[in-house]
Amino acid sequence: MEAMNTLSVCEAIARIRGDAVIVATMGSMLAFDRLGANEGRINSVPLMGGAASLGLGIALAHPRRKVLVVDGDASLLMQLGGLAGVATQQPRNLYHFVVNNGVQFAGIYNLDIAGKGRVDFAGLARAAGYALAKRYNELEPFSKDLPGILSVDGPTFVEVVVQPEKSVFGKEHPQTEVPDRQFTRMGDEARALGAWLQRT
Amino acid sequence: MAQSRFNIPASSYVEALRRNGVDYFVTVPDWVQLALHQRIEDGVEGIQSVTCCNEDQAVVVSAGLRIGGKNPIVVLQNQGFHACVNATRAVGLDAQIPIVFLIGQFGREFSNFGEDTARSRARIVRLVDPIAEALGIPHWLIETESDLAYIDEAFTVALGQKRPVALVVGAPIGWE
Repeated sequence: MEAMNTLSVCEAIARIRGDAVIVATMGSMLAFDRLGANEGRINSVPLMGGAASLGLGIALAHPRRKVLVVDGDASLLMQLGGLAGVATQQPRNLYHFVVNNGVQFAGIYNLDIAGKGRVDFAGLARAAGYALAKRYNELEPFSKDLPGILSVDGPTFVEVVVQPEKSVFGKEHPQTEVPDRQFTRMGDEARALGAWLQRT
Repeated sequence: MAQSRFNIPASSYVEALRRNGVDYFVTVPDWVQLALHQRIEDGVEGIQSVTCCNEDQAVVVSAGLRIGGKNPIVVLQNQGFHACVNATRAVGLDAQIPIVFLIGQFGREFSNFGEDTARSRARIVRLVDPIAEALGIPHWLIETESDLAYIDEAFTVALGQKRPVALVVGAPIGWE
């Protein structure tokens, strides 16, 4: 069986999204950037933990439009109460994926997160009151089940356990300046998404 | 204790919210605004309530609603405003998504009503204005019923300038 990484998870989601909104953050944002899946997407950046709440607001405003939140494990841990916030509203159009790679700054400089390998994210979502919660460790069953998952009313939670990408930064490759775009892109994406929602 | 002119009726707040087209009441419940919470919980046509676990989430849910074309207000307590500085920085300031806060001044001594909140003996109260100013957030204190006109002004500024604004509720809202 093929192990997953963030890129393969996002590729599977992008392939099947149709006209669904994507709300990404951190690692999934970089993966969707690489895939060129930009239309109808907004990234909670730099704002770890904001993806689920951002997706909830969009899902409530557009109840007939599917909203796919592609969260990170470290991000979700910062705002675990967001699970209860989603479950309380029971948005049938919200699908909340969490990429569990066990590290923060994945692919940049991998630092273990609190609760690495211990936290059962799907169990937390189930206990909070999501309609469905599933967990995958391998790409093939995840990709195979994805159409079925999106055909059933949410709120649905899917934990995907992946291997983190290798660290880039280190003594030989120190940090580079954070580009201004990191701080302006969410606003640009919000305006583009608002127009896209009206248009499509 | 009898209600005073500082205890502006919840019905007047509801009227101001409706006048400004508010359709979502996104909140982490506030002691100062209990009477308004009760009104919303009882049901106000056209206004949906979304209760969040913390103020970061309230700010970001509001942003999502705003992107989706809705007109939310974020209702919270002064200490919640203090807690959500980074979320406000991200979606309100950097992303320029309008946010309208309604902030209850929890812990304000009654003898300070009608006086400058900078002279309150409660730090939790005194910090609201300087934090708003540090963030560049226009803010208005609602002390008596005529101040409810600031709600209209706040929405005009937030939507026109695409920025966060703060309406500060000075005293417990009246139950009428």
